[in-house]
Amino acid sequence: MLERFISVSSEEEALAQLNAHGEELQILAGGTDLMVQLQQSGQRTRRLLHIEKIPGLQKISYNGETGIGALCTHRQIVESTLLAHYRSLRQAAAQVGGWQTQMVGTLGGNICNASPAADTLPPLLVHDARITLVSQARGSRVVDLEKFLLGRRHTDRHHDELVSGITLSQPPERGSDIYIKVGRRSATEVAIVGLAACVALDEHRRLIEDVRLAVCSVGPVPKRLYEIENLIKGQEISDSLLDEAGEMLLELIEPIDDVRASKKYRAMVAPRVLREAITCCAQNASG
Amino acid sequence: MELTFKVNGHPERLELEGHETLLDVLRDDLNLTGTKEGCREGECGACTVLVNGRAVDSCIYAAMAAQDMEIETVEGLATSDGLNSLQNAFAESGGVQCGFCTPGFLMMLTALLDKYPHPDRVQVRDALSGNICRCTGYAQIEEAVERCIRQRTIE
Repeated sequence: MLERFISVSSEEEALAQLNAHGEELQILAGGTDLMVQLQQSGQRTRRLLHIEKIPGLQKISYNGETGIGALCTHRQIVESTLLAHYRSLRQAAAQVGGWQTQMVGTLGGNICNASPAADTLPPLLVHDARITLVSQARGSRVVDLEKFLLGRRHTDRHHDELVSGITLSQPPERGSDIYIKVGRRSATEVAIVGLAACVALDEHRRLIEDVRLAVCSVGPVPKRLYEIENLIKGQEISDSLLDEAGEMLLELIEPIDDVRASKKYRAMVAPRVLREAITCCAQNASG
Repeated sequence: MELTFKVNGHPERLELEGHETLLDVLRDDLNLTGTKEGCREGECGACTVLVNGRAVDSCIYAAMAAQDMEIETVEGLATSDGLNSLQNAFAESGGVQCGFCTPGFLMMLTALLDKYPHPDRVQVRDALSGNICRCTGYAQIEEAVERCIRQRTIE
C-alpha cells in the first residue's frame, strides 16, 4: 500500500519523490493552511509529502542579495536582523495568524498556497521577489513572483518542482517600506485589504524617485499597481496626487462581498490605506 | 503507519492512517483531553501544545509531523508537588473563568516564558494574540503572567 504520509529530510529526497509521484503528492510544510483545507474538504486520501524538516531550506542569508529559504517560518522572518531593511515583510509576517501559526507556517507555504489574502505577498511583490524552483529532471529555474502567481490558489509550480527559496531586490537608498492590513481585529484575522508600499525619495528628499505598490484581498491574486506607480514617480506628494492615485486604485482592483467585508467597504477603505502607506513611507524616507 | 514520539516524557507508539491531526491523536488515542478543541482551524489557540518547545495549534498540526518529537501538553505541567508556578498564578489572579481556553493559554505562556523569562506587557499581549478567551478574562491572565514572573524571580 502507498504511504499517505511521506516525510523527507533532504531536498534530494523530496525531489526524487516529486519526480516519481509528483502528480499525486500534496506538499506539506507547516500545514497551517493545508491541514484546515484537508479537514474541511474531507480529502483524507491525498498523499502528503512532508518537507518541513529539510534543514537546508530554513535559512535567511545575504550573499550580495537577500535570500529566504522556502521553509523559513513567519516568526523567523519577524525576528530576523538580516531582514531589518524589509520592514513591510516583517510587518506582514507578524500579522499572519497568531504566534502559533507564525511559528509553524512558512513563507514558501504562504506563496504556494496563493491565497488572495496572503499577507506576505504584497511586501514580496514590492521587493521584486523571485522564486527559485528545483526539479530533479530539469534542474532549477527562477521566476518573478508576479509571474509565478497565476490565479486564485493557482501557481506556476509544476508537479515535480519544489520551491526552494525566495530572493529579494536590494532595498532602495533613501527609501522606506510599510505593510498596512485592515481587519476587524488586530490578531488572527484574514485581511479585508492589505497593501504594501516601498517609496524612495530623490537626493533632495523632495520628489518620489521610486515607488512600488502591491495589494491583496481586493482581487483573485495579490498584484502590483504599476499604473499608480507610474503616476506618482517623479512627482512631489500632494493631496491632489494622492486623490488621483486613490481614484486610479478603484479602477485597478476587483473587490468583492464576502464574510469579512462588503465590496463597498473595501472600495472605501482601499484608497485611504494607499494614501496612508505612501505618506508614511515618504515621511520615514525624508528623515 | 507508525508514529513514535514522546508525550510529557512518556514514549508512545501508535498506528495511524496518515492525515490525523495531533489534537485528535492526543485526545482520542491517548485520552489526554486537557487539550481542547475549539475552532479546529488554528484561530482560537485552545488546542495549543508544545512540539519540541514550539507552541503550535495541534488542531492543524499533522500528527505524523511529530515523529520522534517531544510533545508537552497541559497534563505535563503539574508535578508531584502540585500545580506549577504559572498554574498557581492563574488560580490566584482569577485567570480562569469557564476554563476552556486555559490549557491553551498555559501552553502558549510556557513557551513564551521559556524563551523570554521577563517579557514586557507588549510581548505578552503579542504572544497571546492567537489565544481567545470568551469570558473576557485577559486582564486577569496578564496579571497572572506578572505574578508568575515575580514568583519565579523570588525563587
